[in-house]
Amino acid sequence: MDVLAVLLLAVFSGGYLALAGADIGVGMLLPWLGRDQRERRLVIASFAPFFLGNEVWLVASAGLVAGAFPGLEHELLEELYPLFVVLLVGWVVRDMGLWLRGRVDAVAWRGGCDVAVVAGSWALAVAWGSVLGSLLFGGELGVGSVVGVPLGVLFVWHGAGFARWRLPVGLAGRAARIPSRYGLSALVMALLPVVAGVEVSWSRVAAEGAGLTMTAVTTAAVLPLLVASQALVWWTFRGRVESPSYL
Amino acid sequence: MGVDPLVLARVQFALTAATHFLFVALTLGLATLVALTQTRSVVSGSAVHARMTRFWGQLYVVNYAVGIVTGLVMEFQIGLNWSGMSRVTGSVFGAPLALETIVAFFVESTFLGLWIFGWDRLNRWVHLVLIWVVTLTAYLSAYFVLVANGWLQRPVGFEMVDGAARLTDVGALLSNPTAVLAFFHVLFGGLLTAGFFMAGVSGFHFLRRTVEVEFFRRSMRIGLVTVVVSVIPVVAFGGMQFEYVQPTKRGGGDGAAAAVADFSARFGPDVYMPPRGAQVGLGLMVSMWFLMVVLALVALVKLPFGRWLVRGRVFHVVMILAVPLPYVAMVSGWVFREVGRQPWMVYGVVKTRDALSPGVGSAAMTVSFVVFTVLFAVLFGVNVWLLARFARRGPEGAQLGASPPAEPVSPAMSPTF
Repeated sequence: MDVLAVLLLAVFSGGYLALAGADIGVGMLLPWLGRDQRERRLVIASFAPFFLGNEVWLVASAGLVAGAFPGLEHELLEELYPLFVVLLVGWVVRDMGLWLRGRVDAVAWRGGCDVAVVAGSWALAVAWGSVLGSLLFGGELGVGSVVGVPLGVLFVWHGAGFARWRLPVGLAGRAARIPSRYGLSALVMALLPVVAGVEVSWSRVAAEGAGLTMTAVTTAAVLPLLVASQALVWWTFRGRVESPSYL
Repeated sequence: MGVDPLVLARVQFALTAATHFLFVALTLGLATLVALTQTRSVVSGSAVHARMTRFWGQLYVVNYAVGIVTGLVMEFQIGLNWSGMSRVTGSVFGAPLALETIVAFFVESTFLGLWIFGWDRLNRWVHLVLIWVVTLTAYLSAYFVLVANGWLQRPVGFEMVDGAARLTDVGALLSNPTAVLAFFHVLFGGLLTAGFFMAGVSGFHFLRRTVEVEFFRRSMRIGLVTVVVSVIPVVAFGGMQFEYVQPTKRGGGDGAAAAVADFSARFGPDVYMPPRGAQVGLGLMVSMWFLMVVLALVALVKLPFGRWLVRGRVFHVVMILAVPLPYVAMVSGWVFREVGRQPWMVYGVVKTRDALSPGVGSAAMTVSFVVFTVLFAVLFGVNVWLLARFARRGPEGAQLGASPPAEPVSPAMSPTF
């Protein structure tokens, strides 16, 4: 059961970094991809239909850790407390910037939301880099936390690949200045948590008893359904974005 | 300057959970009413119901955003601040939370994205199915969260091995009466919240002599019918829970004395009776319910006559003033449930004091407390303001499902008030 749960965690955390990594990266590049507020709304529209369905991979990963690896949950969160506070604040600020931007027609409001999106995206990416680095170096605050910070740049690289494929031709040209291939960067992002998780002794942190079985078996059973619902989103919003969206 | 980390962690969780629940309560009920309205609109092709779906759906989406972000922080806060609980009971308590995120929230959020952004792209029947999936998974989500909370109230289906709990009976966990009854209590509480919200917003527009008479008459009717239908079940499912309430929560009696004696024998002397605040919460919740019953009776008189809903300025003012009632009831109900469980985190298993993360210092806890409290206060303020703004604008102001105008918007597009 441990093995199944580890595989599922690899799928969900890899899914998060590959999918949400792209919209975080586009958020980081927002000031460069969109030079005025109209363009920036278009840039946000490139990932708007996906971002809700992207961040749930992280929520599900956290749920999986709580249900299957409670030992990892408290060790990791407690050891890396400051990093996770930065990560959460970045996440909340970014999400609110996205949700609120389109709600009020005022230059200052949209400008403020743009700042929230960009700052939140950078905070998220840097915090993730640091968390992954810390995991690789024994799971505590230390050398790894600093060494990991540059990993945040991977989000930029991944986001540029996404923007190149989703933005209208003119704006996509700006993203193309960063040499990137979406397929390749998605693969790298998906493998990051696998590499970072190699050092963890999984059987030690796993849940005991029926809780683990219930979590792992149910998750494995619904996974095809979850993937299908996400595929429906991607199929519905395929192609280049031409007009602003609700956000 | 030593602030007690226990106090900080408790107040932080209480503020996060209360903020989260204020928005979740409306989300649950309003999703249901929006889904019903959209069903009517799709089946009959009625234009006014299509507009109602967009207007109330807009308010639902604005409200939903705060529910999400506070929920995210809550999920992580359990691991950040309360790792002591996870050390002892993580193998049991984590499972329903895992299922909540994977089986319920994952689907809810993915389909909500499709519903919001796919408004004009999808077949109208497919679009209708989406909102129903969103609604049902929202309820599933509430159920799993209450399974986790119900287990804290009344731990069942587990054994202690080497000082750690492990789950032995999945069925007992999932059918725990403190979870199932609480779920239906919350379900009707959410409907009551949404019912009063719809009636209050409609009352506001009648008070302002709106020209959208049919739109708000129908909305007022849906709101009042929801109130009438929910006001009795909510108290029934609340009352049924008393059979399973911890003896100490009721504030006295023989059962409480026996429980205190038992705890003292097993865990040593301590204060095993909850603070008075729990009883205050119960009293406040019940008083709010009485006020809501009175309003439901008024609604019962008004409902048979469509014109009576449109008339009566006092009636409209009262309905506006009634919007906070279910909210006060909700929060005080949670105070009763959670404060009444003290000094236990998991009743009779882990004390709240021992559930705290041992390694997190007072400084880190203080910083996190200040940052999140300020952040949520801003979010709360901004979103309440936005809800009020969109509610006041009426159906013409709904941006949901409308193709967004090219920026900058011409002044004619934004009505002034």
